[in-house]
Amino acid sequence: MSSEKPWLHGRKPGDRRVRVERPHAEFFRYAGPGQFVAREAASEPRTAAGRAIERVRHAMFGRRLSIYEEMGERLSKKKALAIFSSDAISSSAYATEEILRVLVLAGAGALLLSLPIAIGIALLLGVVSISYRQEINAYPSGGGDYAVARANLPGIFALVVAGALLVDYVMTVAVSTSSAVEQVISALPGLIDIRVEIAIVAIVLIMLGNLRGLRESGNIFAIPTYIFAFGTLAIIVLGVFRIVALGEHAPPPEPLPGAPDTLQLVGFVLIIKAFASGSVALTGTEAIANGVPAFKPPEPRNAANTLLVMAILLGVLFVGITFVADSFGIVPVDAPAVKTVISQVAAKIYGDNTILFYLYQTFTALILFLAANTSFNAFPRLAAILARDGFMPRVFSFRGDRLAFTSGIVILSIAAIVLIVAFGGITTALIPLYAVGVFIAFTIGQVGLVRHWLSERSAGWRKKLTINAFGALLTGVVFLVVLAAKAPTSLLVAVIIPILILLMLFIHRQYQASADHLAMSDDAVIPPPRREERVIVPVPTINRAVVQAVNVARSIAPDIRAVLISDDPEEAARMRERWERQLPLVPLVIVESPYRALVGPMLAYLDVLDRTWPDDKEDPITFVVIPEYVARHWWERILYNQSADRLRSALLGRPHTVVVNVPYRREVEERAPEPPRG
Amino acid sequence: MAEGANPNPIRKAVLGLNGGPTDELVVNLGCQLAKPNAAELVAVHVIEVDWQHELSEEMTDENLAASAVLDLAEGIAERYKVKLSGDLLQAREVAAALVDEAIELGADVIIVGLPYRKRFGGDFALGTTIPYILQNAPCQVIVAREPVPAAGERRDSTDKLTAGSGLGLR
Repeated sequence: MSSEKPWLHGRKPGDRRVRVERPHAEFFRYAGPGQFVAREAASEPRTAAGRAIERVRHAMFGRRLSIYEEMGERLSKKKALAIFSSDAISSSAYATEEILRVLVLAGAGALLLSLPIAIGIALLLGVVSISYRQEINAYPSGGGDYAVARANLPGIFALVVAGALLVDYVMTVAVSTSSAVEQVISALPGLIDIRVEIAIVAIVLIMLGNLRGLRESGNIFAIPTYIFAFGTLAIIVLGVFRIVALGEHAPPPEPLPGAPDTLQLVGFVLIIKAFASGSVALTGTEAIANGVPAFKPPEPRNAANTLLVMAILLGVLFVGITFVADSFGIVPVDAPAVKTVISQVAAKIYGDNTILFYLYQTFTALILFLAANTSFNAFPRLAAILARDGFMPRVFSFRGDRLAFTSGIVILSIAAIVLIVAFGGITTALIPLYAVGVFIAFTIGQVGLVRHWLSERSAGWRKKLTINAFGALLTGVVFLVVLAAKAPTSLLVAVIIPILILLMLFIHRQYQASADHLAMSDDAVIPPPRREERVIVPVPTINRAVVQAVNVARSIAPDIRAVLISDDPEEAARMRERWERQLPLVPLVIVESPYRALVGPMLAYLDVLDRTWPDDKEDPITFVVIPEYVARHWWERILYNQSADRLRSALLGRPHTVVVNVPYRREVEERAPEPPRG
Repeated sequence: MAEGANPNPIRKAVLGLNGGPTDELVVNLGCQLAKPNAAELVAVHVIEVDWQHELSEEMTDENLAASAVLDLAEGIAERYKVKLSGDLLQAREVAAALVDEAIELGADVIIVGLPYRKRFGGDFALGTTIPYILQNAPCQVIVAREPVPAAGERRDSTDKLTAGSGLGLR
């Protein structure tokens, strides 16, 4: 408490009062016996440069959030639908096209199969969604398929899921960004030469949006997602009305007379390939199950309901677009100009070159950009869970000022940018790598749930087990189909995932080894220290910084010696004379260094000291007290302490050695009185 | 309330705390009133200094305990997301210091607690502080009374907000 208490006068002469200063109050709040809560002021930078950086960070990412504000950052169902579903919902913009691109190879007659295939994929989506609802309720703490596999299957399966999902999340960012850039280029062909740069800028912008935190990224991304969804629903309603009520539709394709029946010829393989291509619609379905803790309470219920809405919406959009495209005989066109299926459907319903058409196209491009955002939420969460389990560096589990998993967000951005640069930002080059990993995760996750129900046997377990077993079988088959249909490029995933698994196992082993090494028995009572201590002070000369370091050294242990490494014997002799006169109680050891090295002779001297220590005694702790001059300004600091820095680096990791820096500040020098003479 | 209903919204309220059982009640009530108008709360704890000591004398033990009371009040306000600052005073008279502080801060309302006294059959003893505030405060005064315990229920003497002994600053 401060001793300065100015008197405050009241209304009457006797009613004086004094205000008591509370020194801790600026930085801490008392929270209980021996417990404080740090205020925001305690985290604020103290240097001018630090404050300037903080102001920039504040402008870019917003103010720092405390963990107590996390609940306010939780997502409502409306925002969560936009954040976690932009990937899944945006796939309705291209999934139909992927089917048609396969079927069109088999001739016009094969196009009729697009609707049944779309319905088949929608049914698969239904099964997967029901399975994920069960997963959310069984594992409400999030983690999705990884958590399920980790709890129910041998450890390697969880790592396979994690590796597969991490790869797929990076692919989602790369593919959706490239695809969106292609939409922009089809409108503005002059930008084709800077497609990679546009994609990089887009990823950086999405990264910054996510670094601002969950709720704000929800605000940024919700509007385009909902406008695209409602715009597409309007297309479907108007399209169905025109087809059913007004009887508008293209005539069914007639096979050419005498031409072979391509459908019969290609048959099952063609259908399977089209199904595999269209199944990209399912990517992103797992994101909600991974991010359950991001929802407002009750988290599992809100997540499960959001998943249901997302699945219904995606199913309706996907089947609806396919039905309208099929009815109007729309197929993808690549020449003379690129015309995507979704753009042709929009032109048919809203009218070619109308304002509504351009608005819809704009939001289609936007949602493709934002599809990447699903991965920006899922990847960092999965990485954080893996870090918590010791399979990724711990930095991935730390949250930044805005409660976002900063490292995961940044690493995902870098990985996606590298992919885009490597593949020239061309979507078709990236597509074969896409959607393979997610089916691995679907399958293993559901197998894990089957084992969960078998061991738990809670109410209704047989029904739940049947659903998950059926889902696992279905997604397992689809995985093989997707892998085969997109081979050989898809097989690259089969190389990348094992590499990731090996990396995770390596990290886990390192953490495990260090944890085992540091572990202490719970019931061990720690005795007082009994090892002897000695102190070495490397001294270049006698000055205030050296004297301060020597005084600190004296407070550590009585066994103290100063060591001067010198390449000038005459200078060393003068130093000894001065030292013995001014610091007579501290022995000085002079090590002449004719080869002018500083660090080597100092380390050798410490080694010799160790060797001369009696064998029957435990090794002492050697404190190396390094005097350090701290200049006022950062630009001054580069002029000093290079030798001290080198010595400190060399001593890092030396057994039984503790390095103590004793900084001498210039402000101290200005105030410090001259020591008494004589 | 000492005065008729005021239609003007509260912008600043002074909460009189004393480390007693009504502190939590007062802070909660203040937060509920402040929240709709984003009003500012100032929690005031007055340490009464008797005439044997200088008014500005260091009252280390009392200050630590009182500081803890103010910090805990801030903790409650944080949960409500209401701005609350602590004000620690030393004075000869608690009531006069509270009123003078409210005047200086330009507060619209003073909220104080009235504990229930169980002895002698139980009653609300106004003492001298509350009547002084009611009579001299130029703003509204809200007196939050401690709930009357049910028959046979004993108040636990440890349910106070004070916890200065573990402040760690000694």
